[in-house]
Amino acid sequence: MIMKACKVLFLTFLAGSVVLVSGCRSKKASAEMYGSDNMMGGSIIDGDIPLNADNMGLPMDGDRSMFAPVYFAYDSSQVNPEEAGKVEAVATYLKKNKSGGVIVEGHGDERGSREYNLALGERRALAVRDYLINLGVNPANIQTKSYGEEQPEAMGHDEEAWRQNRRGVFAIY
Amino acid sequence: MKKAFILGCSLCFAVAAVAQRVEVRKSGEGTIGINLASYRTGGDAAAQTFLSTLKADLNRSGYFTVTSSGGELNVAGSCVSGGGNIKTDCQLYNVGTRQRLLGKSYNTTSADARGMAHKVADDIVFAATGQKGMASGKIAMVSSRTGRKELYICDMDGQNIRQITNDRSIVVGPRWSPDGKNIVYTSYKRGYPNVYLTGRGKPLSSHGGLNASGTISPDGNSLAVILSRDGNPELYIKSLRTGSLKRLTTTQRGVEASPCWSPDGNHIVYVSDSSGTPQIYIISKDGGSPQRLTSTGAENVAPDWGKNGYIAFCSRIGGRYRIVIANPVAKSLRVLETDWADYEDPSWAPDGRHIVCSRTAQYRSSIYLLDTLKDSPVALLTGSVDWFSPACSQ
Repeated sequence: MIMKACKVLFLTFLAGSVVLVSGCRSKKASAEMYGSDNMMGGSIIDGDIPLNADNMGLPMDGDRSMFAPVYFAYDSSQVNPEEAGKVEAVATYLKKNKSGGVIVEGHGDERGSREYNLALGERRALAVRDYLINLGVNPANIQTKSYGEEQPEAMGHDEEAWRQNRRGVFAIY
Repeated sequence: MKKAFILGCSLCFAVAAVAQRVEVRKSGEGTIGINLASYRTGGDAAAQTFLSTLKADLNRSGYFTVTSSGGELNVAGSCVSGGGNIKTDCQLYNVGTRQRLLGKSYNTTSADARGMAHKVADDIVFAATGQKGMASGKIAMVSSRTGRKELYICDMDGQNIRQITNDRSIVVGPRWSPDGKNIVYTSYKRGYPNVYLTGRGKPLSSHGGLNASGTISPDGNSLAVILSRDGNPELYIKSLRTGSLKRLTTTQRGVEASPCWSPDGNHIVYVSDSSGTPQIYIISKDGGSPQRLTSTGAENVAPDWGKNGYIAFCSRIGGRYRIVIANPVAKSLRVLETDWADYEDPSWAPDGRHIVCSRTAQYRSSIYLLDTLKDSPVALLTGSVDWFSPACSQ
């Protein structure tokens, strides 16, 4: 845990942000890991890690066939325990392929406001990003892109279609 | 009682204005009979289009019933077209007092006969009621009719549809610039969701992560926008002069969406789910503590702060989406009467009386006009493709 916290602090430093790392709270991280809607890492990092200043010039697309999408509950941006393994597989890959990176694409189902779903999709992508950072991936190599409800995977209008559409997709570049 | 009062008072105001100006009787169902039987037109198509558009606009305004006999108001005029141009003169009389309320000439190209009718209709509304009309307004919206989500505009009657973007990308959340000449929207045309302004190649906002729901302040100087650049979707104000950013919200466990400026530009109404469900909040443009506007309901989204001071938003009530009007001062709410379909994304029409919104039934979205005084939805844009996210120019 201390190693993990140090790693996070180091990466945070690299990202150029001033954050506070609470050693006390990091001990409770595993207990809180799935309980907080700020999800993984929210209890370790007391502050958000900034994204790139500008998205112009960043890789715009990637290979989506390499890793399975992560699925989310309704109106939630929490990475569920049963989905965490998928994020871990991406982290393992990215730590081996340091010259590459990932665009985490956040999606929602068709219900509710388009603009709220756009923000919620970004929150989902950021939740996956936070987890990847916690697992030691360089934040500079993780981009987020929310599609909200604009690009459904399943075209139906039922629970099963909605479940398939609330997802985080990994586009590897 | 409060609910009835909210818009009741604007109706009273309108009727009182009519009484003051023209001393006409209120007729029938609260509309004023307006007689256009003596409006002369040639047989040409442009003049016919002008007159039929004018009549439809007057009926749609909510204040009038167009009639060919009787009526408290009489419109005398003539319309001729030729050589690619059309002109009309229009006189509006109070039948009871013989008082002339409007006398004006108009001319334009024949192709713009409808636009001229919209101007005449708004002048008649103002002369008779003292209220601003809506007929000259424009609606911006998104449609997937090409297979991609592109930006479109049309007139307030759903006619004169024009496709604005052809980016073969995704357009989200259009809003008019305060001068009504351009539209701010989110697009993925350069890979990431950035905020663009029509007629300007460079994005207004292209930070890492999300750039969405951009909306320009009434004075034209600032952009309220949702950004995730600091690691979480939050509400920011970006100076359009210097590019400097001011972060207004800090909700580490929540997201913000759908900002809209107050008419005086001093406040912003927006959506936040920091309480656990999406609710409507108001914050000063200078920051500080947000005030929560909605205290009930599982989902309150998509607020639009009208120039009339009222905030229209969308609320999930009994499993369907309905339009609610809030008085932010009195904190009172009124739910508009609508049918079983989902009504979303309300936008105040320029008259401050009507609301344009999307209506979704059987997974098909159309654009509808609601008269907040009569609770009577009217279809503006329907068909076999989806039309959604309407925004009215003011």
